[in-house]
Amino acid sequence: MSDTKSLSHGLTRRGFLKATGAAAGTLGLAGAMTATSDWLAPTTAIAEPEERKALICHQFHCLSSCGLECTVRDGRMVLIEPQTFEDGTKGQICLRGISEIQHTYSVDRIQTPLKRVGERGEGKFVQISWDEAIKTVADAIKESKEKYGEDSFFFRKSTEASSSHNYEYLPKLLHADTGGSWGLDRGQANGSDPSGLTGNGLAKNSTKDWQNASTIVFLGYNPFESSITWSDNFTKAKANGAKMILVDIRFSPTAQKCDAWLPVIPGTDLALILGAINAVISNEWYDAEHIRNYTSLPYLVNVETGEILGKPDSKTDSTGKTVEFKMPMIWDEASGSPKYINEDGIEPAIDGSWNIDGVEYTTQWELLKKQMKQYTPAWAAGVTSLDEQQIVDLADVFANNGPSILAFGFGGPDKYANADLLGHANAIFAAITGNTGKKGSGVGWYGGGGGIPSAQGMTAWKMPDEFKTVKNKVAMYDMPYKENNIHCALTFGDCFTLESGSANNMLDWVKTLDFFAICDIYHSSAVAYADIVLPALSKFESAEEVSDVRTGRIASSVYLNQKVIDPLFEAKGDREIERLIAAEFGLEEYIPESNVQLAKHMLQNPTKNMEGMTYEALREKGSMRFKGYENYLTGETAFPNQTYPTNTGRIELYYENLLDLGLAFPEYETPEEAYRENPKASEYPLMFVQGKSRYRIHAYYSASTWFQEYFGPVVNINPQDAEARGIATGDDVRIWNDRGEFVCTALINNSIMPGTLFMAETTYSQYYKEGFLQNVTNAYRQERCYDMKFGPQIPFNDTLVEMKKA
Amino acid sequence: MTRLAQVINLENCIGCQTCVHSCKMQNNVPMELTWNRVLSEGEDVLDGSTGVFPNLTRTYLPIACQMCQNAACQRVCPTGATYKDDKGRVLIDYDKCIGCRMCMAACPYNVRVFNWHEPVRDPDFNYGGKGVPVRPKGVVEKCTLCKERTDEGLDPMCVQNCPTKARIYGDLDDPNSEASKAIREHHAYVLLEEQGTQPSLHYFE
Amino acid sequence: MELFKRNKVLTAILAILVVAGVGCWIYQLATGLTVTGMNNGTSWGLYITSFMFFVGLSAGGLIVASSASVFHIEKFKQVALPAVILSTVCICLAGMFVLIDLGNIANIWRLFVSPNPTSPLLWDIVVITCYLVINILYLVNMHRGNDHAVSIISRFALPVAILVHSVTAWIFGLQISMEGWYSAILAPIFVASAMDSGLGLLLITLVALNALKIFETPKKLITSLAGLMATCVAVDAFFIFCELLTMAYPGTEAGNIILSELFAGPTAPFFWVEVIVGLVVPFVLMVFAKNRENTKLVVFASACVMLGVFFKRIWLLFTSFITPNIFGAPGIIAGSSVAAHTTGIDVFVLYSAYAPTAIEIVVVLGVVALGVLGFMFLSSKLIVEKGAMKAKKASASEPAAIKA
Repeated sequence: MSDTKSLSHGLTRRGFLKATGAAAGTLGLAGAMTATSDWLAPTTAIAEPEERKALICHQFHCLSSCGLECTVRDGRMVLIEPQTFEDGTKGQICLRGISEIQHTYSVDRIQTPLKRVGERGEGKFVQISWDEAIKTVADAIKESKEKYGEDSFFFRKSTEASSSHNYEYLPKLLHADTGGSWGLDRGQANGSDPSGLTGNGLAKNSTKDWQNASTIVFLGYNPFESSITWSDNFTKAKANGAKMILVDIRFSPTAQKCDAWLPVIPGTDLALILGAINAVISNEWYDAEHIRNYTSLPYLVNVETGEILGKPDSKTDSTGKTVEFKMPMIWDEASGSPKYINEDGIEPAIDGSWNIDGVEYTTQWELLKKQMKQYTPAWAAGVTSLDEQQIVDLADVFANNGPSILAFGFGGPDKYANADLLGHANAIFAAITGNTGKKGSGVGWYGGGGGIPSAQGMTAWKMPDEFKTVKNKVAMYDMPYKENNIHCALTFGDCFTLESGSANNMLDWVKTLDFFAICDIYHSSAVAYADIVLPALSKFESAEEVSDVRTGRIASSVYLNQKVIDPLFEAKGDREIERLIAAEFGLEEYIPESNVQLAKHMLQNPTKNMEGMTYEALREKGSMRFKGYENYLTGETAFPNQTYPTNTGRIELYYENLLDLGLAFPEYETPEEAYRENPKASEYPLMFVQGKSRYRIHAYYSASTWFQEYFGPVVNINPQDAEARGIATGDDVRIWNDRGEFVCTALINNSIMPGTLFMAETTYSQYYKEGFLQNVTNAYRQERCYDMKFGPQIPFNDTLVEMKKA
Repeated sequence: MTRLAQVINLENCIGCQTCVHSCKMQNNVPMELTWNRVLSEGEDVLDGSTGVFPNLTRTYLPIACQMCQNAACQRVCPTGATYKDDKGRVLIDYDKCIGCRMCMAACPYNVRVFNWHEPVRDPDFNYGGKGVPVRPKGVVEKCTLCKERTDEGLDPMCVQNCPTKARIYGDLDDPNSEASKAIREHHAYVLLEEQGTQPSLHYFE
Repeated sequence: MELFKRNKVLTAILAILVVAGVGCWIYQLATGLTVTGMNNGTSWGLYITSFMFFVGLSAGGLIVASSASVFHIEKFKQVALPAVILSTVCICLAGMFVLIDLGNIANIWRLFVSPNPTSPLLWDIVVITCYLVINILYLVNMHRGNDHAVSIISRFALPVAILVHSVTAWIFGLQISMEGWYSAILAPIFVASAMDSGLGLLLITLVALNALKIFETPKKLITSLAGLMATCVAVDAFFIFCELLTMAYPGTEAGNIILSELFAGPTAPFFWVEVIVGLVVPFVLMVFAKNRENTKLVVFASACVMLGVFFKRIWLLFTSFITPNIFGAPGIIAGSSVAAHTTGIDVFVLYSAYAPTAIEIVVVLGVVALGVLGFMFLSSKLIVEKGAMKAKKASASEPAAIKA
């Protein structure tokens, strides 16, 4: 009688049931699929329910490593709550941890070992025994090694399908190729790590230090969805009066709570930071003393060649290895002569040029000023679509309302081909404004432990030296494009579609493999391509009294994960599966026999900050805090002594190794594909950006029926772009480019910048109407990054598409 | 007297929906029902916003039973199934509910839900807190302020699990409770005050 | 059982409908109200619409009959018997709709054990019960020819009849939560609607009985009842206008939402059909004495009025459900996947929607069929057989019943 708008078409329970029915059908599993009611003991069996608690640490894929207290009633997990720590404080939890009440028992779990009977990708399987599955996998590995050589076996373990992510045994035991550079989350790290300010892109202080900052600039970072359990550090900082500024392409939940939101055109964050550096320099908002004393900017550089003036030197690093490096020179104002930076009593000049032995030298700082001149705020405004004043204001507040933190995300600007340059610019921006080495200052991705020490008294499980992985030559994401000798693959979790762009290319390559086996918890997108599918345990299941030892640095805790429930279906843990496969090679003795054995091994000598953390103590308490953790609650300072982990001990901002490319200091560069002037944009005018959703960790939780009531594969579209294409909320839309296409549901949302599409990362392909989003993403490899620490990173967001009503 | 209530700090509400799922878990709420929602207020899509890009606003509004002092639902219930207990909580006696849904029409906040069919639970067993009643088909249900927890002196599950501590729980009849103090200090307000329902649930920004 | 014998096909069809309706109701009892189109957003549907409608229809009869006694309108006395039969049947149906709508009828005894005196629904159950009792007493005494008792009962019947509509109106009109319901004039509107639709049904019934040669009503009385109906239509229209003006005048947001939905939204077709077909057309037709003498036109106008009032029940009930007071995504959780199936809504709805399912429609048809059978039964017993008896006793001066 009345009509209504469809909010999230295709997400109804009915639709879901239909989808799972279809999945069961295509998998040919009608007989094998077990209804949840069949394998559960009847409720009426026990009159007075038996209740117990089990403590575990989960999830660590979002790095939150929450300590959870699970209530088990009659053998079923009925409640998941935050753990209470030894000191009586409660831990944190978010909706994802809670949803495991259902997600763990999801009918979309892989339930038994399966063997493929149809074509690869068709998804037709029959149920087989564990014995047959293990033998098939082992035989295929043996055959491949015999036929193609030792290096023909690829192995990768992902967080999702391993109950204990501490160890991977098979890669070493079977001399596997583990796929080289990972290609994820290290885009900016390639540019910021050489400065010494970040480690793997991570800031050297933790989110706890936010409360000490006066200004925090978030660059493509959205903790309110990606890292919900440390959002309290945001609210605390804001309550303390910190100015919060977010640079993001969409009006995210985080944007809503910030004092300023700077929506830049996707992929132009680099222009914004360069513009801000220009404003800092031209307005003299920089910290000259900081630059002089703690950065490489006073170093003398040959004006003609760009080379740093210095002498070869060497030193011994913390591991006892000898490192060769160049000891640079500065112009000492005290003596009026060039001196090495390790000389005593020097007063480095930062401005000026000098003729030394007939050669013209100037400082890095002079070169930086010269190079940044072109990147005026007005220019940056044109590139980013911001107002010039917004850029000047950003520079002003960051430089003059310190201490300031520049917190960049791993999900947004990181996933463009120009991310290394952005990382470099970020380091420069923080360093010249003096925002390093002080309480409440820093740069990097915040979410790791920062300066909080990790567990120091853990005993590692060692294997004899003869067992090692092959020397990696080709990154996994490069395999479809670069010659390699991989013919057989075993992956724990869906790395093929989650850890590479342009899924059609990757899956075409996967189809060429002689053999591919996957061990996973859910029917992830790659499962349909596997020859053998093995059911993995969730983090809540264990056949033994404990499952794993883990550390959570944010909670400063060591957890001994207890068994919550018995293994569901026929699922097995990853250690056990690896051991079964190793046994086929006669190598099982090198893998722990049980979780208990491994845990006892790891905890045999709990020293340093793990004092007292014996197996027995942890078995009783579930979790224990690091000694001295109290010192880190109020926020630790990164580089408190202004000494940086570089060869010189100073922040290195001039990358001599990139001189040939003209990138010793960063230059502006457009993304590879996603920029408005790209000729391709006439055909594919929309920038396709993916990011985090509170309902996912990457593809994980796709199978959560609780979340399916709220969320599914939906693309967010600005009303303007939707109207131009006659699209309404709830419509099915086809999104495509030269690489591929997919169909999902449209959601018209003001929060999205015109000309862009926003979608949460992946979601297993079975939940889409057709295809899935990785079909369109860019798989470009930035050539210069092959020489960098982390290699080229997958530029998922560097993607142009077109869209129409399906 | 005791008047148990929550005060919600909207400034701290990041719309994460943790409280929504905490509630579903603790209270054994079946599929297709929810006692607790976090709305993107006035928006037509979740996480939508008002205005024209980039001049946008958005408010997350957590909403559940308001625990009204002058509860419209209690007034209209023909069998007295909806009642107010001595701790100021508006509760439902499922054994008395005849399923007439008069209370659903009377509630100005749309926070009551009905078991239109045998509850479908996923996973298909009774999860949640000990002692939470299992509601049959044909009765109305809603937030109980986690009766089974608050009776034991614990915080409601949504309060305990809120990552940003946006929810303050306490006794409004105790002027020294955190909840009472928050109402005074932040001039907290109630939803749809003009309806005269006198909710115990308060909000502030 | 004269009427059944004479209308075998109709009786068979009605019986089948009743069986189908009972079957669907049992299915509904077993499965839950999920078999209806109702959901958490629109938690009342066709059953409650029908309840309101039949409470109203029962009015015409008893008000006409009791006015005859109370105000000594002698001419009305002639049709008191069919009128009260009609009234009795309709109130039974109304009561049945309330029971059918209950999600947990097994707990109904709680009404008597722990009644809540502030609940309008409880008042309504009490008043409807009283009303039914009065109807039955009325019938019994009329049947026995106990005129004195009838005249005493009439004095109770008239106020209770007014009350039964008012209390039904108060179920809705006292709910501050619903902008489109909360109004002091809702009870008068319900009384007026009850009068005009009840008279419409009475007129159609009388004409039908006439045609079937079961019960003869003087043409003049038809004309005069039609005139009364036209008056009630005018009063009804006036009350509705008062209500809408009061809602529109202050220009409040809530009022504007209701009015826009009513004038141009999902319930607009029902509103405009009511205004034109239910109010304007019958009034314009029946305001002229000449038209009132045309039985066919009277029947047409009566049908228009009944349709209009039914549509009014629809827009009145549903408009206030559409937009929740606190609006925002994801909206209201629908709660019923079958409702979702029928109306195409999802797990969550921003704007509530409702469409009756086949089950609901069959149940309603079954109840109505049972009503028609009930009417046929009572008419056979009380009109045809009594008429026959009277005819046997002879006296041609009493033309009320024609020998079949």
